[in-house]
Amino acid sequence: MSFSTVLSASIQGLKVEFVNVEADVSNGLPGFHMVGYLSSEVKEAAERVRTAIKNSGMDYPAKKTVINLSPATVRKRGAAFDLPIAVSILASLGQIRERSVRNTLIIGELGLDGGIQEVPGILPIVLAARDAGIPLCIVPKANAAEGALVEGIQVIGAGSLAEVLGFLSGSIALEPEPYPEDKVNSCIKEMPDYSDICGQETIKRAVEVAVAGGHNLLFVGPPGSGKTMAAKRIPGILPPMTMEESMEITKIYSIMGRIDAKAPLIQQRPFRNVHHTATRAALIGGGLIPTPGEISLAHRGVLFLDELPEFQRAVLEVLREPLEEHKIRISRTHGNYVFPANFMLVAALNPCPCGCYPDMERCTCTSGQIQNYLGKISQAFLDRLEICVEAPKVTYESLSREKKGENSSQIRERVCRARDIQNDRYKGTKIATNAMLQVKELDKYCRLGKEESRLIEQAFTALGLTARTYHKILKVSRTIADLDQAESICVKHIKEAIGYRTIDKKYWGR
Amino acid sequence: MKYEYWFAQIARVNDRKKYFLREYLGTAKDIFYIEEMKLNKMEFLNEQDVNTIMQAKKTLDPDMLYKDLKKKSIRFIPWFSEEFPEKLCEIPTPPYALYVKGSIPERTKKTVAIVGARRCTHYGEKYALEYGEKLAQCDVSVISGLARGIDGAGHRGALMGKGSTYAVLGCGVDICYPREHIGLYTDILRQQGGILSEFPPGTPPVGCNFPRRNRIISGLSDVVLVMEAGEKSGSLITADMALEQGRDIYALPGPVNSSLSRGCNQLIRQGAGILLSPERLLDELGILPISSGENTDKNKKVLETGENMVYSRLCPYPKNLSQLAEETDLPPGEVLEKLVSLELQGYVKEISKNYYVTL
Repeated sequence: MSFSTVLSASIQGLKVEFVNVEADVSNGLPGFHMVGYLSSEVKEAAERVRTAIKNSGMDYPAKKTVINLSPATVRKRGAAFDLPIAVSILASLGQIRERSVRNTLIIGELGLDGGIQEVPGILPIVLAARDAGIPLCIVPKANAAEGALVEGIQVIGAGSLAEVLGFLSGSIALEPEPYPEDKVNSCIKEMPDYSDICGQETIKRAVEVAVAGGHNLLFVGPPGSGKTMAAKRIPGILPPMTMEESMEITKIYSIMGRIDAKAPLIQQRPFRNVHHTATRAALIGGGLIPTPGEISLAHRGVLFLDELPEFQRAVLEVLREPLEEHKIRISRTHGNYVFPANFMLVAALNPCPCGCYPDMERCTCTSGQIQNYLGKISQAFLDRLEICVEAPKVTYESLSREKKGENSSQIRERVCRARDIQNDRYKGTKIATNAMLQVKELDKYCRLGKEESRLIEQAFTALGLTARTYHKILKVSRTIADLDQAESICVKHIKEAIGYRTIDKKYWGR
Repeated sequence: MKYEYWFAQIARVNDRKKYFLREYLGTAKDIFYIEEMKLNKMEFLNEQDVNTIMQAKKTLDPDMLYKDLKKKSIRFIPWFSEEFPEKLCEIPTPPYALYVKGSIPERTKKTVAIVGARRCTHYGEKYALEYGEKLAQCDVSVISGLARGIDGAGHRGALMGKGSTYAVLGCGVDICYPREHIGLYTDILRQQGGILSEFPPGTPPVGCNFPRRNRIISGLSDVVLVMEAGEKSGSLITADMALEQGRDIYALPGPVNSSLSRGCNQLIRQGAGILLSPERLLDELGILPISSGENTDKNKKVLETGENMVYSRLCPYPKNLSQLAEETDLPPGEVLEKLVSLELQGYVKEISKNYYVTL
């Protein structure tokens, strides 16, 4: 038989599309033709496949070869079709029996020597294959551990085309990759710990409150005050991830080709430090067929934006939708793509361009310069950062002190307790943390006593609060009360929450 | 009057020459109609001056100019006018004319200038406000320059004290500089104060105008208060001019390590009066003698222990949350809570994120 078909798959956004790789080798003018809405890297497969077949010790006859990747309406990209194309050609040539490739998903990139190189997106593809009832996947050896995370499907890691040929024709026995238990367990790396930071108790407290309620956080402080250090340690005090969450994140990282074969399952919450030159597409995702951006890579973890005013204004504004909806929708003419983006935003800025304000002895900025500096961020964006705290310059005394602060696991314990209280309270609703409370739900969950109402009313006029800051203060006080394991919000919780309110540009630097 | 205005607004001929020329010919109308030959004969005018005046004759129509001035409701007060402030006649280089929006300081009232650095600390600002308010309450006119920092605070204080205050600008009175003080500008006018300048309307705020206008600020005042000034501050120029004009100078003492108080402390060392309290100043100016039995109830603050502990660590210079937490040895959350309640009671103010000062 001169025709055969092999099952493979490609990634569109976060979705998996199955692709049938069809090959037909017949008499005619010798040549290699590929069709099926292919990008140039797929077309280049022709040379790789022919050379790899030859170098694996097989003859490549001088015949007319036609390859079709169907469905022809889906754009195919990447080098992952090399292996299925090769296998399908070999099947048409009769080197492999057609029956043995039926119900097998094959994916991988070929080198000229016939070796199989790793490709991105293995985990979601294997998951989709299992859900479609396919019993066997052949993937590159380097990706085998990642694929083996999926239970209920056999995943075979192959190192070369010859190996695949041997396996499919029955001459070589390849064992399915076992579930990488030891790798899963060993991949919990040492995380940076809060006990490394001397002093800075105010920051630690603010971070604890922010993490406990899932609030976004803003550090205001001069350069070198340990803003980045504090932010980096946040994933270590967030509650541990569930298996479900881990798989969700590993899928995204797999698509981006960022899986470490030694530790295939991502079990730590991501921390993404984005440089201020980042473009909109880099942040939210983009491309002709969109790939996830930084906010999706920070899904279930922390997105850190240092030097906030240095970011282009338009770049920050696109963050507003994902901050509200915890996902990002990217529209293209050929379809919409939705990427998850449920992250905790941590931002940092200097109080003024030179960083010394309000120390007038050293600050060299005029009030115009300060206004200009802050003017790059919209108030609407600042208002989304519910907790704002000053990061003071580290003093020598606090550095030299022997006494070490609390470590991350102690803080995490309190955070988890507060999160448990929230989980109980919001059972049966879509709310996970206090930060997700909508305005209409505040009445129900953040009910205030007489004294508390009076206090907040007083604060409203005395401090010039807006409706938006008022709601944020309520949510943060709910979190502080939860940390305190208090049933209802008390005066002291509200007062502390007021102290964390976001900066108001109008009164800054005047 | 239209000819007088036409002549006064010629900026490129200096005040002294303008004064001589007008004295020589009698009125500005004569200047307008004089021939170029005759002007050339005047020895105190050089070629450029003559050209400028001849140019102005050709291009500027006195009628139009004056109409425009009236439309903007700006008053034109030349040096020979009845209204021209007496105090300004006494100074070494009086302006040729004043342009005024609103009113000019009343002759019968005492006038005090409040000047200081644009880049000031909360300490200077606080006292500028306080002095402005107390002086205004005792019917003293407060004069300043509408600049950022101390000047603005002085004006604002006077407005709070329901008094009239006068701003002397370094640009035309129809221009508000700095622009963010537009609110202050309108409030001054609304409260029967005035915006004054020696520069014709439309003059842009050029750097070299400002030291010049300082002599008018001090010239209009009986007393000059310097609230905060660095070593090379423009406020020290005002103080120098005030000395030249024979005005009294008072300075607000500040910490010796604060560079923004160095100028003030220097002035005190050189013999300027020392500002201890507004009451004492009013006493020394002979406006309101101190009544002995009066006790300020500010010292009678009733605070709970924790709040008191935090409050006692605060001063008029900013301190941040972590410093306070360290000094009081309380957890930061608790300190923050105390600070907010002090803030709500009006004892402290958060001037920058988590930086607090006493009020």
